Amino acid sequence: MNSTYDVVVIGGGHNGLVNAAYLARAGKRVLVCERRHVLGGAAVTEEVFPGFKFSVASYVVSLLRPEIIRELDLPRHGMEILPLDGTFTPMPNGDYLWRVNDHAKTRLEIARHSKLDAEAYDEYGKAMVEMGRFVKPILSMTAPDPTSLAVKGLRDLLSIARRFQKLPIEDKYNQLQLMMMSAADFLDQWFETDVLKATMSASGIIGTFLGVRSPGTAYVLLHHYMGEIDGAFRSWGLVRGGTGAISNAIANAAREAGTEIRTEVPIAKIIVENEQARGVAFENGDEVRAHVVASSVDPRLTFMKMVGSEHLPSDFVEGVRRYKFRGSSGKVNLALDGLPNFKSLPGEGPHLRGAISISPSVEYMERAYDDAKYGRYSRRPYIDIVIPSLTDPSVAPPGKHVMSCFVQYAPYHLKEGTWDEKRDEFGDTVINTLSDHAPNLRNIILHRQVLTPLDIERKFGLSEGNIFQGELSLEQLFFLRPVPGWAQYRTPIRNLYICGSATHPGGGIMGALGRNAAQKILSEWKR
Amino acid sequence: MTATANEAGRVVIIGGGHNGLIAAFYLAKAGFAPLVLERRNVAGGTIATEEIHPGFRCPALLHVAGPLLPDVVKDLQLASVIGHSRIVSFDPNEHALRIYEDPQRTASELAMLSTHDAQRYLQFHACFKNIGAALAPLVSVAPPDVDNLNIHDYLHLGKVGLKFRGLDRKDAYRLLRYGAMPVADLASEWFENELLRATVAARGIFGSFAGPWSPGTSNGLLLQAAFGGDALLMGATMDSLPATLVKAASAAGVQIRTNANVTRIHVKNGEVASVVLETGDEIATTAVISNVDPHQTFLQLVDATHLDPGFLTKVRAYRSIGTVAKVNLALSGLPAFSPLRGGHEDLAGRIHIGPDIDYLERAFDAAKYGDFSTQPYLDITVPSVKDPSLAPSGCHVMSVHVQYAPYRLKSGDWNARRNELGDTVVKTLALYAPNIRDLIVDRQIITPLDMEQQYGLTGGHIFQGEHAMDQLFASRPILGWARYRSPIKGLYLCGAGTHPGGGITGGPGANASREIIKHLRSRR
Repeated sequence: MNSTYDVVVIGGGHNGLVNAAYLARAGKRVLVCERRHVLGGAAVTEEVFPGFKFSVASYVVSLLRPEIIRELDLPRHGMEILPLDGTFTPMPNGDYLWRVNDHAKTRLEIARHSKLDAEAYDEYGKAMVEMGRFVKPILSMTAPDPTSLAVKGLRDLLSIARRFQKLPIEDKYNQLQLMMMSAADFLDQWFETDVLKATMSASGIIGTFLGVRSPGTAYVLLHHYMGEIDGAFRSWGLVRGGTGAISNAIANAAREAGTEIRTEVPIAKIIVENEQARGVAFENGDEVRAHVVASSVDPRLTFMKMVGSEHLPSDFVEGVRRYKFRGSSGKVNLALDGLPNFKSLPGEGPHLRGAISISPSVEYMERAYDDAKYGRYSRRPYIDIVIPSLTDPSVAPPGKHVMSCFVQYAPYHLKEGTWDEKRDEFGDTVINTLSDHAPNLRNIILHRQVLTPLDIERKFGLSEGNIFQGELSLEQLFFLRPVPGWAQYRTPIRNLYICGSATHPGGGIMGALGRNAAQKILSEWKR
Repeated sequence: MTATANEAGRVVIIGGGHNGLIAAFYLAKAGFAPLVLERRNVAGGTIATEEIHPGFRCPALLHVAGPLLPDVVKDLQLASVIGHSRIVSFDPNEHALRIYEDPQRTASELAMLSTHDAQRYLQFHACFKNIGAALAPLVSVAPPDVDNLNIHDYLHLGKVGLKFRGLDRKDAYRLLRYGAMPVADLASEWFENELLRATVAARGIFGSFAGPWSPGTSNGLLLQAAFGGDALLMGATMDSLPATLVKAASAAGVQIRTNANVTRIHVKNGEVASVVLETGDEIATTAVISNVDPHQTFLQLVDATHLDPGFLTKVRAYRSIGTVAKVNLALSGLPAFSPLRGGHEDLAGRIHIGPDIDYLERAFDAAKYGDFSTQPYLDITVPSVKDPSLAPSGCHVMSVHVQYAPYRLKSGDWNARRNELGDTVVKTLALYAPNIRDLIVDRQIITPLDMEQQYGLTGGHIFQGEHAMDQLFASRPILGWARYRSPIKGLYLCGAGTHPGGGITGGPGANASREIIKHLRSRR
C-alpha cells in the first residue's frame, strides 16, 4: 500500500475527526487513522455487555462549540442531544440537595438549606454568565505567544487586555478571582451551605490532579455556565446512543466531505525527512505519504513515540517530558437490573434522570484528594453518576439500566501495588461508597466494568490515563499548552501539527481545537 | 478633647511597624512631619525583639528579613543591620545540606549529595537572578490603576514588557509558567535530591496557608527574586533593625508615640477628620496612613456607614487566616544538632526542618482541617550566636517559626492548646537536637490568636493577608484599591496588606509614601 494524501490525521477521536472534516471541506484529501476498531477516542459508545451500551469514557456533553454543530450540520448526521436535568446530591444525614435547570425550583430547594444562599444563587448565576461572555472568545482563538514579536499575537493579547480593561470593576474582580482562586474559596464568598459548595466545587476538579482547595480550580466553575446546547446557557446533555454518537456524526460529516477513515490501523512512526513530516508508518509496516500530518493523540505519544526525540530540539523534548499528565480518575460502568434507591430520596423519581453527585461536603472532597497526593486512590471518592438509560432507553434492554460512574481520585502512580492488582478493590470501594447512599445497589448489579487510569491509558491511548491529554493546570493552559512557544498547533517538525486536547483550549468534548488547528493548517498551506 | 494646635493637620501614621516607620521617614523627608502612633510599648511591629525571660531577648515574630529594596537600604542606611544568610537543612538520616550566598560554594557542597543538583543549582541561581531583574520594576512602584491606565502606567508596564522581552526565551517561558505553579513542581523540575527539593519548597510556603502542592506557591521565589535577592535566602533580622529604623525616622523629623492605641478614625463628609485613642484623646488630622491590616482599618477603625457595602464585602473576602505560630526558647547552652557533628557556624544562619515534600504537605493537611501539624515544618534561628548580648553568658535564645498552626482550630481553643503546641515543637526539635529538652530554661509560645491580640494582626497572619495569586499586585488588598488610597478621602494604607506584600522588604512603606506624597501635594 503506498498512496498519497494531502493530510493524514492520527487518531479518530472527536478532535481528530473535527479537524479532518474541516480540512476535507476545504478540498483536501484527508485520511483518518484510528488504532481501535471503533471511532471516537474517549467519546465512544461500546456495547460492553450484551444489550448494554456505555459511553465508556466521556459521558456528558456541554461545551461542543455551536459553530461546529452548525457548520458540520451534526443533527442531520445523526447527533441528538437530550437534556440532562439537574444534579442530585445525597447527604449522609439523610437529607439531599437537588438542583434542577428550572431556576425557580432550584431557588426553593436551596432556600430549604439556606435563605441567604438562595438569594446569592441568583447573583452568582448572573455574575457567572457575564464572566462566561468574557472567556468564550478566548476559547475559540489560537493562543498567541507573548515572547514572540509576531504582530498578530501581540494584537490578540492586547485585544484580550483591552476587553478586560472595558469590563466593569465588579466583573474584573470576579474574573481575576475565578482565574486564581480555589473553587472552595471562591464559593465560600457566595454561599454558606456546605453541601452546595461541595457539589458545585466538584466541577472545578474533574479530570485534574488538584483538590477543591487548590488555587486555580475556580475557573472551571465557569464552564458550567458556558455550556451551550441549542443556544441556551448552562445546560449539560446526554447524547442519544451514547457519546460515541457525536463522534459518529462528525465522522459522517467528514466522510460526506470526502474524508477516508480507517480503523484498526495503529501507527508506529511519523515519517520525518529533512525535519519535515512526510507521512506515517503503520505498525504492520505499511506507509502512507502525506503533505501534512495532524496528530490528535497526546504529545508524549506524538513526539516521544511516533516522532522520536532525535528529530526534536532538546528544549522542546524537555518541555514534552515535563508536561504533566498525572491521570487522577477512573470509571466504573454498571449494568443494572433495576434502579438504585437512595435512602435520602427513595423511589424512581426524576432525581435519577440528572447527574447524581457523591460530594457531601467540602472536607469530603478535599480528603479524597489528600489520599491521591500520597499515591493511593480515595478511600471515599468523589463520584459523578448518570443513568443514561432513563433518558435514552435504546442503550439498555427493557427494564434494565446502564449507570456510568466517574470516580475521582485514582492516581495513575500508586505508591503501593499496581493497578492490575488493585482494580477490583477499587471497584469495590466505589460500590461501597455508593451503597452507603443507595443500599439496594449491590443487589441489582448484573455486570461491572472498572476502568483504572492504567486501563484508560491502555484502552484509549491517553498517557497516564489523563482524560484531558494533560493537566488543565494554569501553567499548562492557553499559550503554555502543551509546551511554551508551541501552543499554536504547530510543532518543531515542519508540516506536523497537533490537534488533540493537549492544545488550547484543552479537554472536554468541545471540538474547538480541532477546528482551530484545521484553520491553522489551511492558513499555512503551501504547495 | 481637642487637638493641640501643633498637631492639627499633621499626617498620622497608625502602627509603628517597619512599613509605618519607612513611610514616615519618606514623608518627613518630603516635609510632612508625620506622627506615628504605636499601640505597644515598642516600635518595630513584627520585627521587634522582646525579653522572653529575664536576660533573654528574642525576635518576637519574624526572624528573617529582606531582601530590602535597595533604595530603602540606602536612604535609611540599613546596610549594617541585615544579617548575612545561609540555610542548613537536615533529614532524619543525619544528612545536612547547606545553601550559602555564594552559589559556587553551595554547588560544591551539593555535589556531595548529587552532582546533577550541584550543576543545576548554578543554573537555578542564574535563572532566578535573570527573572528577578525582569520583575524588579514591578515591586518598587504602585500597581497600575486597572480602570484608568494613565500614561505613567503604560510607560512603566512597557518598561516591564521590554525587560520581559529582554529575557532569553527559556527564562521568559519559565517566568510565565512559574507564576501559577505549585512550588513542589518547581523544585522537582530543577532538583532530584528530596532534602533540597523540600528546602526550595519551604520558600514557597513560608507564612502561607498553602502546601507545596498548592498552585501559586512558586510566587514566593519569584517575589523574593524580584527584590534583587537570592530566590531562597532571606537575611536574619537583627536586634538593632527596629532601633535603626526608629533612629532614621526620628532623625528625619518623625515623631513616634508608643502606648498610643488608635481605636477610631473619625470621618466627616467622606473625609478623614481625626483619630481617637483608647485614652479618649483625639488628634485632628486630614491625612491618616494606616500601617495596620485592611480588615482592621476598614472593618474596625472606620465606621461602616462611611464605606460602600460592596467595598466592605470585598474587604471581608480578603483572606487573612494565619497559619504560623512562634516558639521562642531561652536555652542554657547551644543545642547540638546531630547532623552537624559539632560545627557551630551553621547555627548562625537559618535551620530548616522539613525533610521532604510529603512531610511539608502533610503538615499543611492538618491546617486544612483545623488542627496544627503533629510534625510541623520549622524555620529556626539562634540569633544569640551572632549577637551574644541577647542572652546571659553561655546561654542562647532560639527563635522557631512553626507551620502549620491555623488561626481557627476545629477543637479546643488556642489558649487551652498552647502548651500542646509547644510540646509538639520541642518534640520535633529533639529529633534533630536530642539535648534540647535539657537546655530549655523557659519558652514563649505565640499562637496565631496571640498574634492577633497582642500584635494586632487580624487572623494572626504575619503578612497581613495571604500571598495568594488573587491577592497580589493590583489585587492587593483589593482590585481597584491597590494604589495605597482608600474610598475615604485622606485615608491611606502602607502595610504588608498592600503591594508588594509581607516580609521585611520596605516595599509597601516606600511605595505608599511616594503615592501619598504625590496625592497630598496635589490636594494642597
